Amino acid sequence: MGIVIAVISGKGGVGKTTATANLGLGIAMNEKNCIVVDFDIGQRNLDMILGLENRVVYDLVQVMDGDAKLKQATIKSKVNEKLHFLAASQSKDKTVLESKKVEKLVAELRESYDYVILDSPAGIESGFEHTIEFADAAIIVVNPEVSSIRDADRAIGILDSKSQKVKNGEEVAKYLIINRISADMVQSGEMLKSEDILNILNIKLLGKVPEDRGVIDASNQGKPVILNKKSHAGQAYTRIAGRLCGQKVDMKDIEISDTGLFKKLKGMFI
Amino acid sequence: MKSKQYSVKVFETTITDEKKFIEFFDTNYALFKDHLILIQGTLSKDIRAYLEKKSLSFLHNQTVPVGRPRKALETELNIQKIENDVNQQIAKEEIKKLSTRLQNNLTVLDRIIRSGQELDIEGDLLLLNRVNSGATIHTTGNLIITQVVEGALRCDGNFMMITASPKANIIFHSVEVDNNLLANKLNRVELKKNQILITPVIKKEINWAL
Repeated sequence: MGIVIAVISGKGGVGKTTATANLGLGIAMNEKNCIVVDFDIGQRNLDMILGLENRVVYDLVQVMDGDAKLKQATIKSKVNEKLHFLAASQSKDKTVLESKKVEKLVAELRESYDYVILDSPAGIESGFEHTIEFADAAIIVVNPEVSSIRDADRAIGILDSKSQKVKNGEEVAKYLIINRISADMVQSGEMLKSEDILNILNIKLLGKVPEDRGVIDASNQGKPVILNKKSHAGQAYTRIAGRLCGQKVDMKDIEISDTGLFKKLKGMFI
Repeated sequence: MKSKQYSVKVFETTITDEKKFIEFFDTNYALFKDHLILIQGTLSKDIRAYLEKKSLSFLHNQTVPVGRPRKALETELNIQKIENDVNQQIAKEEIKKLSTRLQNNLTVLDRIIRSGQELDIEGDLLLLNRVNSGATIHTTGNLIITQVVEGALRCDGNFMMITASPKANIIFHSVEVDNNLLANKLNRVELKKNQILITPVIKKEINWAL
């Protein structure tokens, strides 16, 4: 029996899909059977970030409607054979989702994989509600800015009231990823500190991802940034994936700038 | 049933001098033929015969209902309305007095009130957690919050206890409370003699520079 994790954010453009792709690949690199599912019906992007857009034949909606079998629709990644992908429909919209069909699909995925990662659409509409409804855990992705945090707060509020697990009297595990942290801006006080964000949202911190220019290029090329061992963001995702797989990985404080004058000088002499 | 409603002009009088009466009626006959004559007191045979001869309609020793003008009716209705309002007001104030003595309907919560959540609480509330930006709380009773408030509060109780909350939007008895006045660690906001009083409960901690 696998674990179902929904990746949510509330606000759009904070890096949900990038995080989903990288965490999926990171988990697969830890030798765990993993599937990433794009629930953003009508606006699928995950296939491009994983570099699998040419291989999509059947989509999520066709599987739910019984037009295709799950095995036919899942796509195996070129990079890692443990990573699988199920695409969203591009021609339909979010209204085609139905609770019963989603429940059946999630149950089927849970049987076949160790980790099921659902990429939620932005916003808090029906598409979002269906993504979180049957999830065991949620990863909330935020940027260190007030609008992103307020939207995430709203999304957590809905998660706490609409999730099936909560309705059964259990608790949904909630983890926070703070994405696109710029050390310089935190140091100069322009960006919110992680402590403040954690204070507001009051959920467990899963990891911090620094701002990295390489992320956009990686997405454009369809090679998730986690494959680049030198990239700071890639290293951060590797650490987070390790934590998700049960390893004890220490939190690296990426908010302290490496480019301080002292370090530069030190680098010159040593 | 078929019925008709008339409003009739009535001339009411008591006869003391029959001669004068007949003289008066003769001169004003044109006016009185449209009136209903109401005679109070004694009515002699002569007068009766006179009235019948002139074919005037008349009544003897009868009371007729007297209509009131519209204005009088309206003022009476208004008075009734005001009396009702005053009674309701008194009842409300009595209930309020009672509620200052009672711990009315206390709700205790220990969860974050997140953005978009709205709490509408009948009675008192003790909240042991944050109120995030975008959340709304309304209580009819007293309100105590032990952590930072960034959302909106509406309190109609006798007092509030609020921590220093520079980002909150606090309305106490439909008056906006200035956040700068809530600078202390815990502040009491209360209504005394139609004035809002803000007093520190726990003073601000001084952070010595390290």
